[in-house]
Amino acid sequence: MEKVLRDLPNYRPNKAPVKKTVKEIIYHIVGIVLSLAFIMPIMYMIATSTKNESAYAAGVGTLNMFLPDFANLGVAFENYGNVLLNYDIWKYALNSFIYAAIVIVLNILINGLAGYVMAKLTFPGKRLLSFMIIFLIVVPVETSIIPLYSIVKIMLGLKQEMSVLGVILPATISIFNIFLFTQFFQNIPKEYEEAARIDGASTLDVFFKVIMPLSKPILATVAVFCFIGVWNDYLWPSMILPSADDGSWPLLPIQTALISIKSIESITTGEIMASLVITSIPIFVIYVAAQKYIVQGFGTSGLKM
Amino acid sequence: MATTSIIIFALFLCAFGGFVAYDLVTAKRRKEVYRIKSSVTAYLMLLPAVALAFLFILLPILYSLGYAFTDYYLLQPDKINFVFLENFAGIFKEISAKGMLYNAIKNTVTFVIGVVPLQIGLALLLALFVNRPGIGSKIFKVCFFAPVVISLSITAFLWEQILAPGEGGLLNSMLSIFGVPPHDWLRDPATAMPCIIVLSAWQGCGYQMLIFLSGLSNIRKDLYEAASLDGANWWHQFWNVTWVGLRSTVVYILITVFIGACRILTQPMLMTGYMEHTVTLSYYMYNSGYSERLVGESSAVALLMTIFIGGITLIQRRLFREK
Repeated sequence: MEKVLRDLPNYRPNKAPVKKTVKEIIYHIVGIVLSLAFIMPIMYMIATSTKNESAYAAGVGTLNMFLPDFANLGVAFENYGNVLLNYDIWKYALNSFIYAAIVIVLNILINGLAGYVMAKLTFPGKRLLSFMIIFLIVVPVETSIIPLYSIVKIMLGLKQEMSVLGVILPATISIFNIFLFTQFFQNIPKEYEEAARIDGASTLDVFFKVIMPLSKPILATVAVFCFIGVWNDYLWPSMILPSADDGSWPLLPIQTALISIKSIESITTGEIMASLVITSIPIFVIYVAAQKYIVQGFGTSGLKM
Repeated sequence: MATTSIIIFALFLCAFGGFVAYDLVTAKRRKEVYRIKSSVTAYLMLLPAVALAFLFILLPILYSLGYAFTDYYLLQPDKINFVFLENFAGIFKEISAKGMLYNAIKNTVTFVIGVVPLQIGLALLLALFVNRPGIGSKIFKVCFFAPVVISLSITAFLWEQILAPGEGGLLNSMLSIFGVPPHDWLRDPATAMPCIIVLSAWQGCGYQMLIFLSGLSNIRKDLYEAASLDGANWWHQFWNVTWVGLRSTVVYILITVFIGACRILTQPMLMTGYMEHTVTLSYYMYNSGYSERLVGESSAVALLMTIFIGGITLIQRRLFREK
């Protein structure tokens, strides 16, 4: 075998293992430096969240800025405890989780059905709808936020309890998700459906029992998008929701609440950073957990615009 | 507004009905067969999506289109007058007088020109960098991706601290080691927009890196083997195999990053406030429509911006369409 290989024109035996090790070391050093550039602000955020005001001030401008205050770990607990209990972050976080859960379920159902119809069924008027999908993806939504505001206000009236629907309902429709679903479903072979059809399944049965189980990657992608969209949105909720100060359960989601928490006069930098860390954790966990599916979702849907 | 919405809905139904009729009439010519039962199922399954999209996406766009020709003031919704092209005349007057809108356009264009190549280039480089087996590259991937998961409001806040003026700012105190005097990064018109560009690219590129990675994983491995057997060097392999294989991914990323960049709003809003040297088109629209309550004028700007973005997106699709 060795002899045969040696006769090949491009055969290069393992003659320089040292060179390869050096290459590996350089690769990892470059990688570490680059990684630091990307997580530096996160380290700063986490480190500052463990400090009180004087430790923070002392650290500014030195390397300590990026290192937690190990001497005084009690301060860290104090910061996180204060933020969670005194400033009610946990209530706002719970709100965001509830909004996100409802939006994810409705969004997948509504846009998934639409994507399935666009991918698999033929009906008159389909060409108009597929043109509108591309058109509506291109139109920037921000341009119509004020008419949207008036429409939602008229629909829901001025009752405070109803304004929750104003946060949830507009988030349940996403043209981009319809586009993603359509692209994904188009690549599912017909045979799966035909087999179910022969067994007498209706279109809805096919969608729920055949298509959905085959679509885990795209479901995960859309669910993650929805969660992040709801979790990180602050402009729209701040317009539509009342900021209740009368001691009742607040309706604001976490990001909107964060803006007002940051402007509380007595709050310390450490406490602000602690609230930022808490706000980032769910998204980070979800991304790391669903990363494989997100890459698959993009890869298999063969995005073509 | 409620009656108008119903009229628009009726018109929408008529238009859709027209297209349905047209499709039915031309069905034979296009060799398409429509079945009644399956069409009805299709309409029923589309109903929730179409209803919601009509209410929360199409209707607001149409209203915004209509408001562009009126003098709608947010607090007086009963007194809307049709003013024809007055808003557009006002826009062009403000642009030619180099007012706030002129700055908004200038800053948005600067931002788009800066951030699109920077973010896409960075994303591609990072994707190529981590696209190899091994635990090291996996950890790097998570690190590069980390800024994406942090919301814009948090990043804006963190960078505010980093770019803070005086000795206290992180960047200033780091630069002071090298003897550079402190600089007010976000107030200086020369550095504010570049700072926002760098932070946006830094924050967003991890997401495009993931999309590039999924594109890279779809390129067949034997193409690389064939290329290296032909004696192709790294650059030839990249240009002839990787780049060609990534074509549709690049188009997708280019269009989405471009549209996202045109809409930039949060970063300047949270970091500098409404300032001449960082105001962007979306920010201008938000400010004139929601803060100053001049919905008519704001909608006129929105209409022009939509036409502009739509036009460029179409050109991009034409240019990069697979040949």
